[in-house]
Amino acid sequence: MVPVIELDNVSRYYIVGDFIVRALDQVSLQIQKGEFTAIMGPSGSGKSTLMNMVGCLDTPTSGRILIDGADINGLSEEDLAYIRNKKIGFVFQQFNLLPKLNALENVMTPLLYTGDIGVSERKLRAQEALEKVGLKDRMKHRPNELSGGQKQRVAIARALVTQPSLILADEPTGALDTKTGIQIMDLFKELNNEGHTIVIVTHNDEIGTSCPRLVRIRDGKIEENA
Amino acid sequence: MVWENIKLAFKSMFTNKLRTILSLLGIVIGVMSVVTILTLGNSASGSITDAISTGGTDLITIYTSGNSSTFTEEFGDTLRRNINGIDAVTPMGSQQVRVRYKDTTSNYTVNGVQASWAELMKYNVAQGEWFSTEDNLSRRQVVVLGSEVAKKLFPGGDAVGNYVSVFRTQAKRYLVVGVMEEKDATLSVSFNNAVFMPYNTMKLRLGGSSRVGTYIVKVSEGKDSTVVSDDIRDYLDNLVGSDAYSIFSASTLTSIANDITDTFTTFLAAIAGISLLVGGIGIMNIMLVSVAERTREIGIRKALGASPKVIRGQFITEAIALTMVGGLIGIGLGTFISKLVTNLAGWSFKVSIPAYALSVGFSMVIGIFFGWYPAKKAAKLDPIDALNYE
Repeated sequence: MVPVIELDNVSRYYIVGDFIVRALDQVSLQIQKGEFTAIMGPSGSGKSTLMNMVGCLDTPTSGRILIDGADINGLSEEDLAYIRNKKIGFVFQQFNLLPKLNALENVMTPLLYTGDIGVSERKLRAQEALEKVGLKDRMKHRPNELSGGQKQRVAIARALVTQPSLILADEPTGALDTKTGIQIMDLFKELNNEGHTIVIVTHNDEIGTSCPRLVRIRDGKIEENA
Repeated sequence: MVWENIKLAFKSMFTNKLRTILSLLGIVIGVMSVVTILTLGNSASGSITDAISTGGTDLITIYTSGNSSTFTEEFGDTLRRNINGIDAVTPMGSQQVRVRYKDTTSNYTVNGVQASWAELMKYNVAQGEWFSTEDNLSRRQVVVLGSEVAKKLFPGGDAVGNYVSVFRTQAKRYLVVGVMEEKDATLSVSFNNAVFMPYNTMKLRLGGSSRVGTYIVKVSEGKDSTVVSDDIRDYLDNLVGSDAYSIFSASTLTSIANDITDTFTTFLAAIAGISLLVGGIGIMNIMLVSVAERTREIGIRKALGASPKVIRGQFITEAIALTMVGGLIGIGLGTFISKLVTNLAGWSFKVSIPAYALSVGFSMVIGIFFGWYPAKKAAKLDPIDALNYE
């Protein structure tokens, strides 16, 4: 089976003054459909860079990244935006909801960029996604009227709504208290049980070890790939 | 997508009302000035045309000068026979005289005209009647007073039937047979402050030069007064030379007046256009602020799959929406001000459709032009940097 994500000898270098920073150094990694993977590492380990690569927000200096078997090398900004929209669902530490829009409108936004979905269907699919994360009665609320856990649920609904190949979560519990964090992790597990492929990037051991698969990264290299 | 962008644009305009209003001010003032100037220009031009035409666009006035013996009473008929398109020619003489009633004495222009003159000039009687052809032929000492003259000499309104004294070398008594309605002066005749008497009476009693001072030419129906006046000019140039007369027709004056107002209007509108440009720079400024403020939003949208093209569209739409709203407010205010000014000036209010079209079009162009750079900046933002922007 074709992996959802395949990194083949991927490096990403930054030039800072006279130095070359090797944020990622010849990393190879495969994530299969239906997997629930944690990518763990301390800050500065290169895990954010890795996440940006997997999320098609950045392209490698060398090596290949294949998403559903398709190489993203050399794609234009427009094409990368299309892939992010179709294949990736982002969940961020700081939720990153659009503050002027209510929960429903936030969840509808990615479908707007798909370009060919009418407003009534966008609304319907956004409602379904919000129901799935347990926010049926909070659809008309704006982000500032929601708790941290509720905001993150809206963000997860927004990631789900395009039916992406991969949900990519960056420290999704980082801004939440322990109890709410556990609820959010439970939601991810539930989604994984329904067949969603999930990658969580974290520096939190507890979160990392609770995931079925753990990839540890340090100094731009993969240490442990269980 | 376009519709979504328009909704987004208005949403962001409403979240920052004060700032939106302030940044719109430049465009509002610019469009307001352009609309006001063009509308006022249009209205003024219309009023000038109306004013000139009150004497009738079918009338041509010939003023004579010099000692030419050509300009006799009968010359009117000569003119009519020799030039195609003349319906009637009536001579007119004017002199300055003193007029007295009881203790009130004043200086007025007295116009000696024929009985048909009032009708020719569309000049109507308010009280009594205009003098008759018989009055003229018999050289009766009768006068008709302009409205202001009647008001001054007869504050009680009892002019008709009374006698006034008209002085030249010696006083003569004249019976007032009529008082005229008010009528705005045309370029060749002032009505309200004048006294009118039969042409022959004037010639006999007040004397003066034997030359007819003025001929009023009525152009036949359906003939172009400009053509007729050109023909008269050619004819008179051959006959007496161009120094011996001058000629005015309403239609030539109208076109000269319109040329002048058009020039002024264009000039002023161009100056007002500069303020539109300044307004546009204001829009660019606010759009740059908006892009900087919403860097994180742009990052989020890009992560969700908004392409650079889509982001650019969003911000261009916002700039256009801003300028269009400003433009519409400016049109409203400009129309209101022009209406006010035309009312005060007593002009007829004439809406200038090109001014509206120009303003809306120009606002849109300014939106696109000054929104382009900020929108491009937004579209080129790196999604990772934008997401991490605090």
